[in-house]
Amino acid sequence: MPVATPSLLELQRAVARELISPGESPAAEFVHTDGIAACDRLNVYRNTYVSTLVSALRIAYPVVHRLVGAAFFEGAAQLFGQAHPPRCAYLNAYGALLGDFLSAFEPAASLPYLPDVARLEWAVNCALHAPDMPGLDAARLPALAVADPARLRLVPHPSVTLLHCRVPADAIWRAVVNEDDAALAAVNPDSGPAWLLVERAASDVQVLRLPEPAWRFAAQLCAGAALQHALEEGCVGADAWLADHLAAGRFVDFVA
Amino acid sequence: MSASASAVPPHPAGKGQIPAQAGIGLRFRHHREVLDSRPAVAWFEVHTENYMGGGAPLGCLDAVRGDYPVSLHGTGLSLGSAQGLDDAHLERVARVVERVQPGLVSEHLSWSTVDGHYLADLLPLPMTEEALEVVCANVARVQDRLKRAILVENPSSCLRYRHSTLPEWTFLAETARRTGCGVLCDVNNIYVSACNHDWDASGYLAGLAPQSVGEIHLAGHSVRTLEGGRELRIDDHGSRVAPAVWALYAEALALFGPVPTLIEWDTDVPALVVLMEQAGHAAGLMNEHGNEHGHAGRDALAA
Repeated sequence: MPVATPSLLELQRAVARELISPGESPAAEFVHTDGIAACDRLNVYRNTYVSTLVSALRIAYPVVHRLVGAAFFEGAAQLFGQAHPPRCAYLNAYGALLGDFLSAFEPAASLPYLPDVARLEWAVNCALHAPDMPGLDAARLPALAVADPARLRLVPHPSVTLLHCRVPADAIWRAVVNEDDAALAAVNPDSGPAWLLVERAASDVQVLRLPEPAWRFAAQLCAGAALQHALEEGCVGADAWLADHLAAGRFVDFVA
Repeated sequence: MSASASAVPPHPAGKGQIPAQAGIGLRFRHHREVLDSRPAVAWFEVHTENYMGGGAPLGCLDAVRGDYPVSLHGTGLSLGSAQGLDDAHLERVARVVERVQPGLVSEHLSWSTVDGHYLADLLPLPMTEEALEVVCANVARVQDRLKRAILVENPSSCLRYRHSTLPEWTFLAETARRTGCGVLCDVNNIYVSACNHDWDASGYLAGLAPQSVGEIHLAGHSVRTLEGGRELRIDDHGSRVAPAVWALYAEALALFGPVPTLIEWDTDVPALVVLMEQAGHAAGLMNEHGNEHGHAGRDALAA
């Protein structure tokens, strides 16, 4: 059977389809058999592709992996990989949407806390790999203090995430990280929401629980709201909260 | 048509240059041990993609770089992409290069990205004039951005395309000739591909210009037996260097002279002492076989 000669782009698109959804592309027609079926040869690459994605997700989501077990994790990760192939070669940034994926993943429905634990792990992963950046220089604090609150906007440190969980995902996460089965058994998944701040302080990642008003204030600022707008959303004590955030290096710059 | 080699500005030799000795691929599990014990290793190579964020890994690499020459080996640039390079990824690479000031920067003769999808493997290219032009344009772009020559590594492969017209060694040598890049000669990959495709491994080595070879990689591979008894060799970097690969390495040294040589181990990474023992074996072969030639041209590739 004569085979048309593909352009490089046609070939790469065919191989990509074969790796992401096998059997649906003409890639095998372009491959020499030499005694081994083309699909077997292509499968070597597909296996590497799939196992690399699963491994990247396992590294980013060790707590989810422990909670569901290796076999379940691998199955879910493979389906996630088909739905969300990586968009860049920096695999530490791969897997942001696993929490959303798990919330719609029927086999995980018996673990209603799992999506929030996954979202927390993603925030931890982002904090681990965020670029190094010094907090706002103390020499600029006087300028910050006299800035017009209606125009003052702060730039958060890239390691900071504000996360609202419907379940105490932090307690579950901490118990699994510490391999503390008693603490895990003691978590009441129905004990209400958790308002969390995740950051990399010095070299360690911290998961802090904030009172809801303090969380809303920080979330407003991190989302780029003007200070006055965040204050209106917040309540008494906001000045002290802001001072804490600045002292902890959670903001790196401001515009006024 | 040819992208001129002289388009790549030369850069000075100096501290941090990778010596023509045996180094080790540094993986996370050995960071602490290397920093605590400062073992007698000539140089280290790391995967560029592992240091694109901040925090502890980059801090460790800074500390290692203070005491050892370091080479950056990338896996994500996709030099063979028909649609060109991912600008954002090239910028990430450039930031790591600027930070680490490595002795060598290398990537692979392969592709992994199309239509914005990263396929997380080093996929084989068709050996065609079209692909050669794509690779040369992408290599030239990387070298322009990094303001230095890079090394391009020969892949291992377990498939070939029907419409390929060039031998892989000719493709690689021509890439070096047209762009001024160097060759990272992975001897294990040559052995693996030669077994999988019934090539002459010695002929592959002879097809490369000796002065273009700036580094050698050595690693272990595995053998997978398929239904029907046919075998495919897989370059999994999960074991000691095979005896046949050591023999091919000796041939390479006789052809190329002493070349910075790296022991790579990525799957089931063993104790550092095992890697040092493998590096010691490479050093012994370098003493035995590598001293017939001098290659001043190679100096232009090092920082």
